[in-house]
Amino acid sequence: MKKTILSILIALFAGINIAQADGDKQIKIKTSAICTMCKERIERNLGLSKGVRESNLDLKDKVVTVTYNPNKTTPEAIKATIINTGYDADTQVANQKAHDKLPDCCRKTAAAH
Amino acid sequence: MLKYLTGGLFFLLSSSLYAQRITGSVNEQAPDSKDLKPITGANVYWSGTTQATATDASGRFNIPRSAQSNLLVISFVGFRNDTVKIGAENDLQVVLQSDQTLNEVVVRGNTSTIDRLSPHQTEIITTRALAKAACCNLSESFETNASVSVSYADAVTGSKQIQMLGLNGTYIQTNIENIPSIRGLASTFGLNFVPGTWIQSIDVGKGAGSVVNGYESMTGQINVEMQKPDSREKLYLNTYLNNFGRAEVNLNLATQLNKKWSTGLLTHASTLRNRVDKNDDGFLDMPLYTQYNVVNRWKYQSEKVMAQFGVKALHEDRLGGQNGFEKEMKGSDNVYGFGAKVNRYEFFSKIARLFPDKPYKGLGFIVNASLHDSRSYFGLNNYDGTQKTLYGNLIYQSIIGNTNHSYKTGLSYLLDNYNELYKDIRLARNESVPGAFFEYTYNNLDKFVLVAGGRVDFHNLYGTQWTPRLHLKYSLTDQTTLRASAGKGFRVSNPLAEYYGNLVSSRTVQFRESIRPEVSWNYGASITQEFKLGNMSGNFIMDFYRTIFENQLVADMEDPRYIRFYNLEGSAYANSFQAEANLTPLKRFELKLAYRLFDVKQTLRNVYDENVLLPRMMVSRDRVLFNAGYALPYDKWKFDATVQWNGKRRIPYMGHVDEHHVPGNLTSTMSPSFYNFNAQVTRTFPKWDIYLGGENLANFRQKNPIMGANDPFGQNFDAGMAWGPVVGRMIYAGIRYKIVR
Repeated sequence: MKKTILSILIALFAGINIAQADGDKQIKIKTSAICTMCKERIERNLGLSKGVRESNLDLKDKVVTVTYNPNKTTPEAIKATIINTGYDADTQVANQKAHDKLPDCCRKTAAAH
Repeated sequence: MLKYLTGGLFFLLSSSLYAQRITGSVNEQAPDSKDLKPITGANVYWSGTTQATATDASGRFNIPRSAQSNLLVISFVGFRNDTVKIGAENDLQVVLQSDQTLNEVVVRGNTSTIDRLSPHQTEIITTRALAKAACCNLSESFETNASVSVSYADAVTGSKQIQMLGLNGTYIQTNIENIPSIRGLASTFGLNFVPGTWIQSIDVGKGAGSVVNGYESMTGQINVEMQKPDSREKLYLNTYLNNFGRAEVNLNLATQLNKKWSTGLLTHASTLRNRVDKNDDGFLDMPLYTQYNVVNRWKYQSEKVMAQFGVKALHEDRLGGQNGFEKEMKGSDNVYGFGAKVNRYEFFSKIARLFPDKPYKGLGFIVNASLHDSRSYFGLNNYDGTQKTLYGNLIYQSIIGNTNHSYKTGLSYLLDNYNELYKDIRLARNESVPGAFFEYTYNNLDKFVLVAGGRVDFHNLYGTQWTPRLHLKYSLTDQTTLRASAGKGFRVSNPLAEYYGNLVSSRTVQFRESIRPEVSWNYGASITQEFKLGNMSGNFIMDFYRTIFENQLVADMEDPRYIRFYNLEGSAYANSFQAEANLTPLKRFELKLAYRLFDVKQTLRNVYDENVLLPRMMVSRDRVLFNAGYALPYDKWKFDATVQWNGKRRIPYMGHVDEHHVPGNLTSTMSPSFYNFNAQVTRTFPKWDIYLGGENLANFRQKNPIMGANDPFGQNFDAGMAWGPVVGRMIYAGIRYKIVR
């Protein structure tokens, strides 16, 4: 019984250690995010994509800071995720279809709020 | 944004005191490290209102939800202001950025939290915690909860019962959005009628409840909040399959029609068509079944009025018994069969008048009408029951002078019509109960809270009932909270519906006398201590509750030939002690360890007609629960494991009784203790989740859950003595697909 609990704990901790491996890179990308909903959406989609450890969007300057594992993903793939979420990424323009699916408040035409 | 104005709805319509407040902590990022430092004295206020508070020495704040605003502003000199939009969250962690650095907000919802502010000992199970057990309906939603446990009712019908404070779930008042729902005849299968994906959150309150919702709460109250029509999830599809062949589909839809109107549709269909008999006793381990369940609701929200109404419909068909039994063989004395058909229709409406400039004031009106019809048979015995219910509750809340003194008062009406027929026993009654209640709350800056309530109900059959209740909360320090409660409960029992599983036996049902309503007093006290161990945060909760019955329905099964129903003569009580520790050693890593001790006794009449105080059967004295959960950011991967240890429990004498030599001492036996392991893994993708899990992974089974299974029409047949899992290991997998606005 105790062994079972212990092994579950060990398994969990081992998982954490792997998740915090070093060698990660960081990239900053300018987006067209407008509100907190945009922030949530971009951070979540990035966070759930392959190789991304952390993503953090600053609504003030609209720059998202992404920590990623260079062996698993590339800056291009990260930008593609942002574009397909419906937002601009640096010089690349958002995927129009994805952009049109966003709620009114999150579209580029929306006034700052 | 309008759709977030549900805060107002919570404030007004939740007639209980739960989740009306937002709690949280305000921190700053310490330079050059990942640690967070609490900020003392930060201002927290609802945008555009004067409702404000400040953080304490540990950076904590609490503020009532506002009807006027859903934007919470956090400000402190030298830091950038932050505005957080509040949805259904209860607990926030806000990180303020100093003026020189970038700003960032972290909003985090813990999987299950203890409501720090409620004077009731309340635990909130959030959607996140519900996702820990992928399944399936309300009865299975408490797997990771230490206070509520699921008991195994019998080995044939598949009905599941819950227990709290050592007593059956029938003593808990179970509300759906503050409408008393799972009661009367629905208490048999009612928990299976609330699909898990429909549930937004569950509040579990221990001890006496608020008088606002009626007199039936004896050991506690559970309130289920369902997914809202104005939820951000436009579409939510869940499919589920397990290794026994149970398949399930849930589809939730929500549409915002215009600024004021929204509508939602919750649907569920599930079935088991595969005959499973793993223990080779010739009986199906689980009944075959099909369930269709649907709710359509509409919501209107304007500045001054919030209205909701909807309809529910449910159909369920169960078939169990011996392996070879088919539907057409009903009434056969050759092959034992069990069947149950339930149809249930319900209408509900809630209207609330809001006072935008006086958020403390409100007027709410709840109406609910339901028709419950069940037709069952157990071998050669038929049992049919119908219940028609009409319920109305009018609630007015306001303050006396200032917000330190507030009150809720109102009128209620309950009309219950029961009609049951079991073999040749007919039970019919009409209850008509007008009532009035008043509840006063004194709140001294959330440090000391007193809630004193009373209600008087004029019962047409059992006379005037007076129900007083009292709750106290005192925050000794910011980390230590003491609570105490006392209160009376009253309910009219439905013996056949409540002991339904025991009807699957050769026992003869006997009513020794006419059954009077059950009356109980519940007293309890608890202490909650929050602590920090280095970087680890956690809490420790200890509580003790005692329920004493003035009258109780006694279902005497000491003699294996009978179920005898009679009124309590002498004492009956249930003592419950629980200690629970929650620890978060790392971010997104949560541990829970709980121990519970029950001492439940009941006076029964023995064969010499003497009253003897005996431990209540089927109640484990000890139970230990351990739960560990870890998630990666955004729940990309989520792991969860639960271990439960259930102690021994008393089961009545199950041997043969000779008609002419009834032994004077029918010795009861003890069931062995056992472990139960559950685990689940979830992988989240941007639009969908997949999950894989297992229940009862150690594959523990009660060896012979059915007594006399080889001769179901003989004298020793009894399927109502299940104390453990009937089926073995269960592996399941499923997909959740969501479209979020």
